[in-house]
Amino acid sequence: MEMHVPLPSLAACGGAAAAAVVALLLLRLYFVLPGLGGGGAGVAAARRQQRRRRGKAVARGTGDTLLCVVLGSGGHTAEMARLLRGVDFERHRRRLYVVGSDDALSVGQVGELERGRPGDYRIAVVPRSRAVGQPWRSTPASAARCLARVVALMYRHRPDAVLCNGPANCVVVCLVALLPRILAIKRIPIVYVESFARVATLSLSGRIVYLLADRFVVQWPALAAQYPRAEYIPHLV
Amino acid sequence: MSVYVTVGSTGFDALVQAVCAPEFMRALGGRGFWRLVVQCGASLARFEPPPAVREEFGVTATALAYVDRPQWHIEQADLVICHAGAGSILDALRAGKPTIAVPNRALADDHQRELARELARGGYLAVAEPEDLAQAVSAGAYAGLQPYPRADPRPIGDILDEETAL
Repeated sequence: MEMHVPLPSLAACGGAAAAAVVALLLLRLYFVLPGLGGGGAGVAAARRQQRRRRGKAVARGTGDTLLCVVLGSGGHTAEMARLLRGVDFERHRRRLYVVGSDDALSVGQVGELERGRPGDYRIAVVPRSRAVGQPWRSTPASAARCLARVVALMYRHRPDAVLCNGPANCVVVCLVALLPRILAIKRIPIVYVESFARVATLSLSGRIVYLLADRFVVQWPALAAQYPRAEYIPHLV
Repeated sequence: MSVYVTVGSTGFDALVQAVCAPEFMRALGGRGFWRLVVQCGASLARFEPPPAVREEFGVTATALAYVDRPQWHIEQADLVICHAGAGSILDALRAGKPTIAVPNRALADDHQRELARELARGGYLAVAEPEDLAQAVSAGAYAGLQPYPRADPRPIGDILDEETAL
């Protein structure tokens, strides 16, 4: 007797398999994305925040981590330089600064903020995902170039954490930093600090990264009131 | 006594024009300021002080497009008048200088105004529009402001330590 497998059923099998993969991926995303389920990341963060407020000791790593810092023009780099004064470079001994390709100013500022500090650092230049005022029509192509460069960069250096404060490139870096977590390879925590300039509304980057960041810090109370996962910490800069 | 005016990294025509107006020079002279330094950025062409500014108002006025070390200029000043960008405002407040912030209406979504207004509510700086800047100076709006609380960025270090310890 001849085996007869009708084509539609093969296609149906394929379709079902694809649907299952997509469903699993979505489930995985739900569990790893801090802004959604994230394994109770929000609750844990709130608990840690409370501990710190009460002046209790915080858990510390062993040190010698590679910290990825995203810089960007328009005041972001200057503010990041202020934030980095609060970071123990003996603990985060290696720094990887991600700088936009048209941002020579930030390169100079890295030299200044790193002067006399322990450990070592390198600067990686990536194409801008979107320049200020760039037409949205040409944004996908420039974002793709930026994405390819950032993927290569993260694969080569494998940072232990990402710190960013709002330039457009940080959205790309955060998305790429989540890939190893989605694939259950490595958890790269993302810490986002919304700019001091944002008093009442989040920046566009902030609204996106709110879904991706493990810790989301705002510097004005009105933002914390609107975004429950945000930690309000005044006078950081 | 000297005044440092800064428009930041872009330009701010209305502010540069406002600090070149005779009534602004008169307000400076009246308050004992004799030196005016204006960082104009892209608005350098708008810097047109009155012809006999030194003789008439006792003020020497100097313009610069950009400066290498904005902090140095702020340190030298007794009053800072700046656009309401976060960078300039922080530089001025952190230096402990009396500050008048002028929001740049021309910028997208006018979010400079929110920051300036919030800081003015706390009494840390004065806010003025280009049109009433001379009036703000002659009325001494910059006097009696609160010192801005010291910066403490250590919580960011703590958060990074906590997250990398997981």
